[in-house]
Amino acid sequence: MSNLSLSAQTPFRRALGEPSVLIGATLLLLLVALAVFAPWLAPHGPNEQDLLSTLLPPAWAHGGDRSFPLGTDALGQCILSRLIYSTRVTVIIALTAPLGAALLGCALALIAGYRGGRIEWAILRMVDLWMSFPAIVLALVLMVALSPGLLNVIIAIILVDWTRFCRVIRADVVVLRRKDYVAAARITGASHWQVVMKDIVPGITPTLVSLISLEMGISVVAESILSFVGMSVEPHVPTWGVMIADGLKSVFSSPWGLIAPVACTVLTVLATTCLGDGLRRTSDPRLFNRSGS
Amino acid sequence: MSTLWRILWRVPMLLFLAAIVFLVLRVLPADPMGMLLPPSATPADVKALTEALGLDKPIPMQFGIWLGHALHGDLGRTMQSGQAVTPLILKALPVTLQLIFCGLVLGVIFGIGGGLLAFRYRGTRIERAVEVINSISISVPEFLWAILLILGVGIGLQWLPFLGQLDANLTVQPVTGFLLIDAIVAGDLAAWWSGVKHLALPSFALSLGIAPPLMRILHSSLLEAYTEDYIAAARLRGLSENRILVRHALKNAALPTVSMLGIQASTVIGGTLLMETIFGFPGIGSLMVNAIGANDLPMIQGLALTYAVAVQAVNMATDAALLLLNPRLRTP
Repeated sequence: MSNLSLSAQTPFRRALGEPSVLIGATLLLLLVALAVFAPWLAPHGPNEQDLLSTLLPPAWAHGGDRSFPLGTDALGQCILSRLIYSTRVTVIIALTAPLGAALLGCALALIAGYRGGRIEWAILRMVDLWMSFPAIVLALVLMVALSPGLLNVIIAIILVDWTRFCRVIRADVVVLRRKDYVAAARITGASHWQVVMKDIVPGITPTLVSLISLEMGISVVAESILSFVGMSVEPHVPTWGVMIADGLKSVFSSPWGLIAPVACTVLTVLATTCLGDGLRRTSDPRLFNRSGS
Repeated sequence: MSTLWRILWRVPMLLFLAAIVFLVLRVLPADPMGMLLPPSATPADVKALTEALGLDKPIPMQFGIWLGHALHGDLGRTMQSGQAVTPLILKALPVTLQLIFCGLVLGVIFGIGGGLLAFRYRGTRIERAVEVINSISISVPEFLWAILLILGVGIGLQWLPFLGQLDANLTVQPVTGFLLIDAIVAGDLAAWWSGVKHLALPSFALSLGIAPPLMRILHSSLLEAYTEDYIAAARLRGLSENRILVRHALKNAALPTVSMLGIQASTVIGGTLLMETIFGFPGIGSLMVNAIGANDLPMIQGLALTYAVAVQAVNMATDAALLLLNPRLRTP
């Protein structure tokens, strides 16, 4: 009975009833709003330097300046403004890289899990191969080959992180493929493509959704790591990773340039973890399997 | 048998990895010639250098030549200074290995300790506390932990240093390259202690990435092991709870935990790259970041291969450990 009442609600409604989903989604929406309205919200331009007021503390601290609410960095750039403008790269990465990695990973997982045989063996060995390289080393090597830029960062993250999706989703597909309803669909004359799209893909969606939201956090951190070592977007584009690197250099004279971007990154990662955990709880695949069989 | 096969499989895998790195770096849009030669170079100079570096040959052949040299321990010369790559890597490697070792040891101690603690006191507040700490440490990646530790422990509390391997006024004569060993060899306790203090934060940050999954998997495998008959039998024989836990359950729960450690090998090894960059350690991670900044292909290739070998070595070690721990894997 409980399953019946569960499936009567739409997954969307159920997810909204979960506090962690709400918290995570609200924080991420806030991030998107900051990114979109950055020019109106930021008090200064992201690269505007005021060399007379470098390394200022926040406005509330002793020696702070009202026009720089969170203080300035070593070049006299407004930390708050750079934080706000940095959300643009963060949001673009968080929205595109996980989807790309999911598409690539799922396509290969569906082929491997559904077809089985030699092609599955080959895809699994490829996953092994990829995973036996430290992700950061692979990403750096790819960035060297691709040269800096937002699109290339996205490509590099996709090419590194598709394995995460491939491994998990393939395991799901292998289970789903053996379901009676898949055999039934084949007997009634459905093509392989129809079976995959109508019977397998809906089955992997809950796992996929929570994986994607976790990957949002992972890709944001990946970008900030690449920025930190100077291998991400063009140098004039502000990102939290660049701010962390700059902040670390002048941490002895003013820790605020480091605290602010780290806090933002941690908060974003926690928001995606919240969202992912909540989504997994509200769309637990085991519940789906039980009501499906 | 399959485990033995898995160990052997790592050899062709390494070759594949080397080939992938080689290929990826050869599609590079950046022109290494432009960086090596002065702007006044003539086309003849370019041609001569291209031939000298073997860049005019087809890519498979270049890979063959490079691989042949690499198997003999020769990874070419760096483009920045013209020094041989291999000795530079070998010189930096001990720093990284020391960091990996300390991070792994701390991670295993926290992971196993946390798992045992949570299990021994299951159903109490201690279990809840361990789980909460676990979720906190897993939800923040180690890159951010490192910075948070610098801010909190390094700058806020000023308990531990966070720059370089040693205090600025100390030096240790390199013998083995492993700073802590060298300091003992030199009998310099002050330097040893300073080295330990400098290692503390990066190792701790690394361990925060390893410990939570270890703890989780150990906890759940212990719970599973306790449903088995041999635990009830041991209890009937009058063994103490602690003895049952350590001698019987832990032995069986260790298997998934060791496999988990193997899976995390690449995370730890990749993590050292960031720790070295953040904490200013002169290991292969710092070498890599420098080489990447300068588009130094032979260096990047050599280092990528070193990382791949390191991951495979740790994986092989865990496979071997599994083989030793689990008699069932040994019977064909």
